Amino acid sequence: MTQPFLAIRAIRKTFGSVVAVHDVTVDIPKGEFLTFLGPSGSGKSTTLYAIAGFQDPTSGDVLLEGASLLSVPPHKRNIGMVFQRYTLFPHLTVAENVAFPLRVRRRPDAEVKRKVGDMLALVRLEGFADRRPGALSGGQQQRVALARALAYDPPILLMDEPLSALDKKLREEIQAEIRRIHRETGVTILYVTHDQEEALHLSDRIALFRDGRIEQIGSGEDLYLRPATDFVAGFIGNSNFLPAECLETADGAATIRLADGSVVSGVRANHDFGRGQKARLMVRPEAFRLTPDHACAGLAVEFVDTAFFGERRRVVARTASGQEIDIRPTSDMADAHRGGASGGRRVFFDPAAAFLFPA
Amino acid sequence: MADVNLTLRESKAPAGQAGTAAMPGKAPFRFPAGLGGALPALVLVTLFFVVPVVALLLRSVTEPEPGLQNYATLFGDGTYARIFLNTFLVASVVTAVTIVVAFPVAWMLAIMPPALGSIVFGVIILSMWTNLLTRTYAWMVLLQRTGVINRTLISLGIIDEPLPLINNLTGVTIGMVYIMLPFMILPLVGTLRAIDPMTLRAAALCGASPFAAFRRILLPLSLPGVAAGGLMVFVMSLGYFVTPALLGGTSNMMLAEMIAQMIQSLLNWGLGSAAAFVLLAVTMALYALQLRLVGARRVGGGA
Repeated sequence: MTQPFLAIRAIRKTFGSVVAVHDVTVDIPKGEFLTFLGPSGSGKSTTLYAIAGFQDPTSGDVLLEGASLLSVPPHKRNIGMVFQRYTLFPHLTVAENVAFPLRVRRRPDAEVKRKVGDMLALVRLEGFADRRPGALSGGQQQRVALARALAYDPPILLMDEPLSALDKKLREEIQAEIRRIHRETGVTILYVTHDQEEALHLSDRIALFRDGRIEQIGSGEDLYLRPATDFVAGFIGNSNFLPAECLETADGAATIRLADGSVVSGVRANHDFGRGQKARLMVRPEAFRLTPDHACAGLAVEFVDTAFFGERRRVVARTASGQEIDIRPTSDMADAHRGGASGGRRVFFDPAAAFLFPA
Repeated sequence: MADVNLTLRESKAPAGQAGTAAMPGKAPFRFPAGLGGALPALVLVTLFFVVPVVALLLRSVTEPEPGLQNYATLFGDGTYARIFLNTFLVASVVTAVTIVVAFPVAWMLAIMPPALGSIVFGVIILSMWTNLLTRTYAWMVLLQRTGVINRTLISLGIIDEPLPLINNLTGVTIGMVYIMLPFMILPLVGTLRAIDPMTLRAAALCGASPFAAFRRILLPLSLPGVAAGGLMVFVMSLGYFVTPALLGGTSNMMLAEMIAQMIQSLLNWGLGSAAAFVLLAVTMALYALQLRLVGARRVGGGA
């Protein structure tokens, strides 16, 4: 078995009687961008802090190229980190901030100078070397923090919600920068966020945390298109959950009856469901169509409301049983719904894009 | 919030917010628009401070006869020079020791849970409110040859002869550091609290050992507080009377003791006034220096 680059082994952290992290285990290959995604209090930051060395785990181990990190004090771990808050040293200039990790390592002046130049070029802040952090915007400060964290070529870069203090537009701008920097440096990145869009945009793989456990780990596509649980389905993207009753399961597919009595076969099911068991069928808003194509399941609905978001529209529809569902109209629907918010119609979905979860 | 935010906040803060943290008496002079309300205080200061100071200055150049001979004696005579030197020595030693002792206490207070912190804070303030003479006499009891400290050390077999802890520089330093501590701790806590602990975590991950993080990050960021507290302690020490008189020796007299002797025993008002005026001038000069170095707001606010 080849040894993983970074191995998180059964990390467990308890605060008194509260278990913050339950035996989290992940292997991270070199150069990967892995995101810990999850709601607040799900244990993602605690796991990251165990790697950084700020909170010793109650049990478990963190291995970098086979060697345990836990007995190494933070300042000898040689890990880069960008924090949620701005943690630049306010009494030092931008260049001195970036040089700081090199100075404490007593690198020669010429190397420090060259490296600081390279790093400021990497984050595109060449003209800001002599400014103080206080004279920079939040986005610029986080870019300096990134340069400082990468200046000593750490094998791992930890990022703890680094964009959460920035506004949406700036966030997207810096996300693009982070992607570029990851591409250019090839550094292994562990990124913590509660923002699923950010996670999808940035990561090679996402580990979705829930109550101190990893609910599912995989690429963004895996989590979006093949959610392991209804929590994953609900957390990544928007989902509609329709009440259903299972009639039959076989080979990961199920036949179900919806609340309006219609029978749909071929929906995907990860679990075995007993005959007659209550279940919930997840359908993504964008999976709905106005016209039936191959092997589509139909649903009688009434359009209630429609909202315009620029690049997309959102339609709220009501099923026969009174449940409101979200629909992301495709272009063929865009005109059709203008017929007014009244009147019944049918929407269709591909059963192969619908997932059955236990109720 | 680290220091940047601090600067930002200060520059945005309304003028009246400047001298909030500690020592209102040391706030820089700045007259708000409504000068009328300050009039009684102004009259008081003029009558009981400005007038006597001017009178003092006049006496120092008129008694026993007009001229600068008092100042010539003060600076020319070896005895007085030694007293000046000793005064500065004691004030410097006291300031240095106070900074070293106060820093860990202030840091502990800054990172302590607030509930516990306020208790420790209360203890410090309470000691400040206890009568100065009582505290100095208590130190006499502790430090003398047959005092608690010497007796304990002898009975433990650590020393054979009592240590000379009193009537010398050691006694004065111990007694004065104890009295000065709150004046150092208060401004320092304000400065340290404004430093984001995350900044130190970041320094650690950057590879800074605890000592490097202290020297390169914590210490520079706390300098305004150290300077504010240090200046206050130094200036107060320069003119201190009670503690040096009770715990110090006759061989290392301080300026305040000399002034008292000149005026009370020797009735040499001219020389006493000159010495007092030199003390005042040095104090003002130091204060002006600090204003230049750290800026008026920091001196006043400490944070």
